[in-house]
Amino acid sequence: MTITIALQLLISGLSVGSIYAMVALALVIPFKASSILNFAQGEIVAVGAYTALVLSAFGLPYWLVLPGTILFGFLVGLVIERTIIRRIMSAPEFTLVIATFAIGLIIKSAIRLYWQDNLFTLDNPLPFKSFKLAGVVFNPQYLWVIFCTTLLVLVLAWFFKFSAVGKAMRAVSQSQEAARLMGVKVERVLMTSWGISAAIGALGGVLLAPIIGINPEIGHLVLKALVAAVIGGFTSLPGAFIGGLLLGLIETYSGAFFGSTLKNVMPFVLLVLFLLIRPYGLFGKAPLVRI
Amino acid sequence: MDVSRINILLSICLCAAALVAPWVLSTYYLYLLNLVLINIILALGLNLLTGNSGQISLCHSSFMALGAYTYTLLNNELHWPMLVCAVFACAMAAIAGVCVGYPARRLSGIYLALATLAFLSLTQILIEEFPDLTGGIRGLKVEKGSFIGISLGNESLLFYLVASACAFCLYVTINIMRFPIGRALDAIRTSPHAAQALGIPVARVKLLAFTLSATYAGLAGVLFAMIVGFIDPIEFGVSASLRYITFIVVGGMGSISGSVIGAIVLTGLPEALRSIKEYSDLVYASILLLSLVFMPNGLVGLFKARNAKKIIRAET
Repeated sequence: MTITIALQLLISGLSVGSIYAMVALALVIPFKASSILNFAQGEIVAVGAYTALVLSAFGLPYWLVLPGTILFGFLVGLVIERTIIRRIMSAPEFTLVIATFAIGLIIKSAIRLYWQDNLFTLDNPLPFKSFKLAGVVFNPQYLWVIFCTTLLVLVLAWFFKFSAVGKAMRAVSQSQEAARLMGVKVERVLMTSWGISAAIGALGGVLLAPIIGINPEIGHLVLKALVAAVIGGFTSLPGAFIGGLLLGLIETYSGAFFGSTLKNVMPFVLLVLFLLIRPYGLFGKAPLVRI
Repeated sequence: MDVSRINILLSICLCAAALVAPWVLSTYYLYLLNLVLINIILALGLNLLTGNSGQISLCHSSFMALGAYTYTLLNNELHWPMLVCAVFACAMAAIAGVCVGYPARRLSGIYLALATLAFLSLTQILIEEFPDLTGGIRGLKVEKGSFIGISLGNESLLFYLVASACAFCLYVTINIMRFPIGRALDAIRTSPHAAQALGIPVARVKLLAFTLSATYAGLAGVLFAMIVGFIDPIEFGVSASLRYITFIVVGGMGSISGSVIGAIVLTGLPEALRSIKEYSDLVYASILLLSLVFMPNGLVGLFKARNAKKIIRAET
């Protein structure tokens, strides 16, 4: 095991982890605001990937495809919240879990009906090819993913700290009642949080598409993102980011050392361990429930 | 005529119908009826766990897979007698139920959903990663065993086996719901804290519910392997788990008649829609979503609400 290989694994681990982190962030944002976990998030990633496919089939350049897809993802999030989630907001948790699952399955089977099980690819958006630096191969795709995720985290940090909508979101997640009394339009804030989450998911789809290709099963990614969110703690945005990166690194290194079976099994073993020992993750807080 | 007499009459009629069924029905309809009965067993088990004790399980298809694979392997490789294989397979599923139920005692809501989802993914991966044993993604053919000297290729014998298993499960479930344990399950769903305060050992009852439910699913898996004669991991994925949840959501949560009705309606429906087979996942998921939003108490709930209205109208 040389330094070069370790560095190489670090790069690929970080880039895989960035994708996990991105989708995990998309899971955590509506969860914080409305304590609903969106199991359909993986399919929203798929929606993003297929939107990018359609848009680039129209011959649009990448710098138009990217914002177009994000916008479309945002709209999808708004529609899902407005038409379905709002009706069952106060239903038992079982209903919410199964309903979001059903939404995911509907999206997935609709995609499968139209595009079948074909594997599509998106052209490499970046003008340069892989380059070698001190023996380590740098794939610009991976660097682009890492860059986008870092940028996203910074933007989100600014958004929640300083912008009016972000502050309203934090208020709603603390207490819907108090926020309403302070004049925050709670429904609109919840809807926006779903929109933002879906937009991030769609961005994940665009970034992922050139790397692993587009097929209806792309949504399986959500499992890994869920594990990442559990590691970081469901109520913490930095937690989701760090959890994603950690999961990516652990997966890559264990795959390199112990083979692919362990690589595939590892995330779920981690998930079970965390649920057993620290269900609220590294950075989350255990919710206090009034009986 | 009072209710219990109607029930006795109904069960006698059903028994008679079951006795003549293999002689009257064509092979295809008999196969369909078998599937309905298997799904009823599964729905009964799932409803006990989800509808009564209020715990989410997304891994019922893996319990079923464990039952099916254990049965098939014991049957194909070791050629043990059918009953022994079946008992071992159910025990295997029960053990898996304990393994999932043990951590699940402390989890609820989304965390439980995640844990069961993790278990589902683990079983899927393990089945696919050990193709020498499980046939991997290509699946496994189930050899026909024999029961009391008759080959299991015999359709009527197979049907009688499935029907009696289903009747047995129905009988057990009805009695569970009448016993203190059934009341305890309902109490845990409505309020775990109140149940604890009343002296119900919540953690133990939760574990028991998981084990029981997994055993039902294991039995369903064994019967599935016998009837279909071929098993592969795709049959036991997440969408299968959601299909079983659809049974109890559409039928009615926490109600035995709900499980039965849901399983009958939703096993029959895709067969009726066979001409548009590729839409089946879409149709299932849409039905699930619509009934969650507009019919939270299921078909049984609708029926009850109508009856209640009738009674109110009669009184005024």
